[in-house]
Amino acid sequence: MSAEAFEAVVTTHHAEIFRYLRRVIGRGDDADDLSQETFLRAYRAYRSLPRDANVRAWLFSIATNLAKNHFRSETRRRRAYGEVRASTREAVDSAPEAVLVSRETGALVEGIVGRLPLKQRLAFTQRKIHGLDYEAIGRSLGCSAESARAHVFQALRKIRQGLDGHGLLPEESQP
Amino acid sequence: MSDKPAVCIQIKDDLLAVAMGEATPSAVRRVERHLAACAPCRREFQEYRAVDNAVTTLREDPLPSGRLAQARERLETRLADLWRRLLTYRIFPSPLGHILIARSELGISLVEYLERGTSLRASRLSHEPGVEIVGDGGELEAPSRELLEYLDGRRKHLEWPLDLRLARSDFQRTVLQATAALPYGAVIPYAGIAQEVGRAAAVRAVAQALRWNPLPIVIPCHRVIGTSGALTGYAGGKVGLKQRLLSLEGVPTTKRAGVLGITPQAMYILYPGEQEYCLPTCPSFSTHRPAPLTRFASRESAEAAGFAPCTTCRPDLHPISR
Repeated sequence: MSAEAFEAVVTTHHAEIFRYLRRVIGRGDDADDLSQETFLRAYRAYRSLPRDANVRAWLFSIATNLAKNHFRSETRRRRAYGEVRASTREAVDSAPEAVLVSRETGALVEGIVGRLPLKQRLAFTQRKIHGLDYEAIGRSLGCSAESARAHVFQALRKIRQGLDGHGLLPEESQP
Repeated sequence: MSDKPAVCIQIKDDLLAVAMGEATPSAVRRVERHLAACAPCRREFQEYRAVDNAVTTLREDPLPSGRLAQARERLETRLADLWRRLLTYRIFPSPLGHILIARSELGISLVEYLERGTSLRASRLSHEPGVEIVGDGGELEAPSRELLEYLDGRRKHLEWPLDLRLARSDFQRTVLQATAALPYGAVIPYAGIAQEVGRAAAVRAVAQALRWNPLPIVIPCHRVIGTSGALTGYAGGKVGLKQRLLSLEGVPTTKRAGVLGITPQAMYILYPGEQEYCLPTCPSFSTHRPAPLTRFASRESAEAAGFAPCTTCRPDLHPISR
């Protein structure tokens, strides 16, 4: 394919892929490197992609594989989680007073998501943040759509348990 | 969880699916009926709705301002670099053995006779510095088919965009460009190309440049021959291939004293700079100074290249009979 045609792919999808990787990786530089690698790999392979392929899901799949490889090393994984939490705290600290309450719950959720097992986190982020369907998520994780859905549901259960009622419901509705 | 009634445990997946808005209508009805009667599950359902709501805050842009633009700029730089270096290739069997064709974004950059195998490992590409190689996704299907048609005699021209960056020097590129202009059915001595590129004394360098032609067949170095008419040095000694390619174009060849060469008396001739082609016996030809001649296999090939029959020797009235 020509450089111009691939340019359109970059224009349409780069921001979303970078944001996805930023969410699952945490570290900005690593997310930047991996999003570049996603598009370089895509460029090498684009000519073999069937014409009717879902380019967005395909890019998510490449990015997800790179994220999985990135986290193979447990040390890097722990370091990245630390960064997620640190950046979250900064965001909360610098937010205006009025949005602190909802932000605080959001930050808690983000912290829980950051500690989820990798597949659950990847599946959750693709489904609940980026709105991909379970078929595409399953393909990116190398599992069935049903398993992808199970990963997302398990993540939601853990988020609910992790919040332990905090910020979920107004006090008066509690029994 | 173990103290939950069985009915609550059975419905927990549906309950979550309904809270996330992903349930079938029948599951929705089932869950609604259950929730109407079960307060703990009602609360769980509300908590999942609240989780779903809290998750929306995660959709805020996680990138500090400016990061995206910087990342995009870096990506563009790396893509431009890859764009320059990326080659796709295809290997296919032909009457001349396995052939590899490779192309860049600019055009076809390599046609290679594979001698040492039928995979990429047998190709010079596998140790070509500065290139990245990927398998062809279909865009080389048409060029390889056209090449087979050419080798089959069903096609006389390969009109491909060419990328000469695999040439070893600017001089070689110049020689290749001059050679690319040689018409179908014509041959010229190395000295003719040397003259063409303005380096009349560099005959040997021209021969070397053509010996390493990265685009044989499409840049027809097989149409360049020794001054004596001998089919010397094709692609590192494959004189037999050279003869096959020339025979395809109707160029007559013979073996004399063990050396394969063209049959000059059976070919039409063209003096450099002339617009008319002649019989080899043309009386006006003998008055010319010696010069590298272009020879044509047939009147058709000379005329297809834009030359007219000589008005003195009249090859149109007295064609060479073979």
